[in-house]
Amino acid sequence: MLDSAMAALASLADPSLLLMLLIGTVAGLVMGLIPGLGGTGAVAILLPITFGMEPPQALALLIGALAVVHTSDTVSAVLLGAPGSASASVTMLDGYSMAKKGQAARALTLAFLSSMAGGIIGAIGLTLAIPLARPLVLSFASPELFMLTVLGVALAAVLSRGNIIKGVSAGLLGLVLGMVGTSPTTAEERFTFGSLFLGDGLSLVAVALGIFGLAEIASRASQRRGQKENISLGGGWGRGIREWLSHWTQVIRGALIGIWAGVLPGVGATAGTWLAYGQAVATAKDKRQFGKGDPRGIVGPESANNSVEAGDLIPTLLFGIPGGVPSAMLLGMLLTYGIQPGPSIITEHLDLMYLIVWSFAIASILGALFCFLSVKQLAKLTKVPFAVLAAGLVAIMLLGSFQEGGQLGDLWVMIILGVFGWLLKSTGFPRAPFLIGFVLAIPLERYYFLTDSLYNGLDWMARPGVLVFLAILILPIVWAFIKFLRARRHSNVDDGHRDERPEDDESQLKNSTWSLTAAGIFAAAFSAALISSASFSPEARLVPQLVSIGGLIFSGILLFTEIRTWLRTRTARVGWTLDAGFALKTFVWMTGFLALTAAFGYLVAVTIFIPAFLLVVARARLKTTVVYTLVLYVVLLALPSLLPIDLPQGWLNTLV
Amino acid sequence: MTVLVAYSPAAEGREALTTGITEALLRKTDLLIVNVGRGHHDLDPAEMQELEAQLHTAGLTLMIESSVLSDPGDAVIQIAQDRNVDMIVVGLRHRSMVGKLILGSTVQRILLDATCPVLAVRADRL
Repeated sequence: MLDSAMAALASLADPSLLLMLLIGTVAGLVMGLIPGLGGTGAVAILLPITFGMEPPQALALLIGALAVVHTSDTVSAVLLGAPGSASASVTMLDGYSMAKKGQAARALTLAFLSSMAGGIIGAIGLTLAIPLARPLVLSFASPELFMLTVLGVALAAVLSRGNIIKGVSAGLLGLVLGMVGTSPTTAEERFTFGSLFLGDGLSLVAVALGIFGLAEIASRASQRRGQKENISLGGGWGRGIREWLSHWTQVIRGALIGIWAGVLPGVGATAGTWLAYGQAVATAKDKRQFGKGDPRGIVGPESANNSVEAGDLIPTLLFGIPGGVPSAMLLGMLLTYGIQPGPSIITEHLDLMYLIVWSFAIASILGALFCFLSVKQLAKLTKVPFAVLAAGLVAIMLLGSFQEGGQLGDLWVMIILGVFGWLLKSTGFPRAPFLIGFVLAIPLERYYFLTDSLYNGLDWMARPGVLVFLAILILPIVWAFIKFLRARRHSNVDDGHRDERPEDDESQLKNSTWSLTAAGIFAAAFSAALISSASFSPEARLVPQLVSIGGLIFSGILLFTEIRTWLRTRTARVGWTLDAGFALKTFVWMTGFLALTAAFGYLVAVTIFIPAFLLVVARARLKTTVVYTLVLYVVLLALPSLLPIDLPQGWLNTLV
Repeated sequence: MTVLVAYSPAAEGREALTTGITEALLRKTDLLIVNVGRGHHDLDPAEMQELEAQLHTAGLTLMIESSVLSDPGDAVIQIAQDRNVDMIVVGLRHRSMVGKLILGSTVQRILLDATCPVLAVRADRL
């Protein structure tokens, strides 16, 4: 074990790996600064670049980015009071208060150092988990692995914030979407409607970038004004270091909470940081300074949000169930390389596991170092209005999702899912279970049929491992049900600790015609899946039908409650809001861009779309627009010769 | 000089409020209400005006405050420390051992963590 760990470290001396790790770290830092991207966006954008690489290089790049996304997202939270990701909004409470007192440097020192420590402790946690889980993982056979995949989707659905019924519906729809394509058991095509393109299944990058990336851009593109106020870092570097050293217990506690939040599927960085903040407040005797600039309010959460990403990797690599959205994509990547997480990664690819651990730890240190060195430049970057960034991001995301299959169809899928993702986001559906379901659909079905063919009837249910997982599956549901009942009877006013973040302000279209539409879409999709699966052969039919029946039940409940609130709120119903209009307009822009690409090719489309979007939507100055377009054009022109990337060709190009 | 009432829209919360008002009038101190209920169940505006008038005739003021902290127990203690209150009034009810173990208890946390005297009242008195 120690041998493989040292061998993995030695392999990092390979210049190509080190270079990838460095690129990943820098890319992760930049993406951490852009609001709304976070770990999900970072992995989704970098994933297409890795398609031509060997697994170690690809992992170094992705892990490097993932490890530091939460290091730089603090910068804008502290300096501007506008968090770069949802999880950094915790740091904003105390960090921005410190900055307003002219102690931004103190807050940033605390945050960077804690992020670094959180990353390192997370990597240590991942290392320790390998020998601990090894005997357990090696004892798993297909029944346990099947239960684990079910557990992965179910826990993600139940533990995600918000309504459980919404979570389960989203998870089940993700499963249905994941089954589009060739059935793993009978090799027949399902839900393809005779299309050759759908026969390969939907591309993971397209789905992830649509549901998360484009949806995020659409809901934020209305921010066309950057921060005008001047940013001063102030002093307090030395004080920050001293305070960080004196709060070392908070750092460790925060990191441990983060690892735990990461291990649980569906509990991501956001919930983890709020847990850490709640813990820091609860254990402090003097609570006066919290929210007004208490160092403990920065140290714990910052340490937690970096270790979450390492914690996410524990169930992903050892059991094959992703702990969060970024790791779900990582899992998808490993599967395309033919590396099966779970028992086989431990026996055959232990070196890769340790490479991930080392990359994570080294990137955490590098990330903090870069942040210290370049904090002034980073601070300037945060002043760029989001609408200006959005133009380039749309171009990059569409290019990225083209790489997996090289088909324009993937891009259409991505935009459609983008609209759907925006609808989910604004009506309060958790999106993590959707993506986790999408990734786990095929493994779930494969393990089920392996189990079914190896065991007689329900014998496999009696295996001790399966029973334990069943218990883990049922307990949170019972728990949630009890909490629901108590909330109903209003007998929960005294119920203990509430660490969750305060009321969600992201889903503004809850309980409106919009959410009714969303529920309707869910019900319609499940019915369609049920009807079209009737024509499959019995073996290919079983799992899709079970999933769609379950989905119909849950979305039926959802539709019922939505209709009830819809009828009740007849007068004060949220209809067409300004933000919704803007988001949909942004999608129209994206569609226009894609249509241009389909007609004239990608490069031509970029030269038309970027200046138009910048001038009309972002209302940028002419000079900015010209420089922006030129730089992007040159970069895109040079990109195919630097990286294994293809630019989409248009219909006209095929004529010439 | 203030008495802090941890108010929640339940029987024990009402009891805490009643006792808090009595205490404030008795001690001739201001009254500070912190809402610990889930969601935004603030006091009824009419009731609040009445309460404000009642305190005003005695020369006292009514304040309502909230905290950025999401845990109600922590919020109450933070405000109490911040405002340097004389006393916190909480309403409690019977909770089983298991209930407290699994779900926790806000009142218990206030009792244990507070740095000032706490007056605990029950709604179901004899």
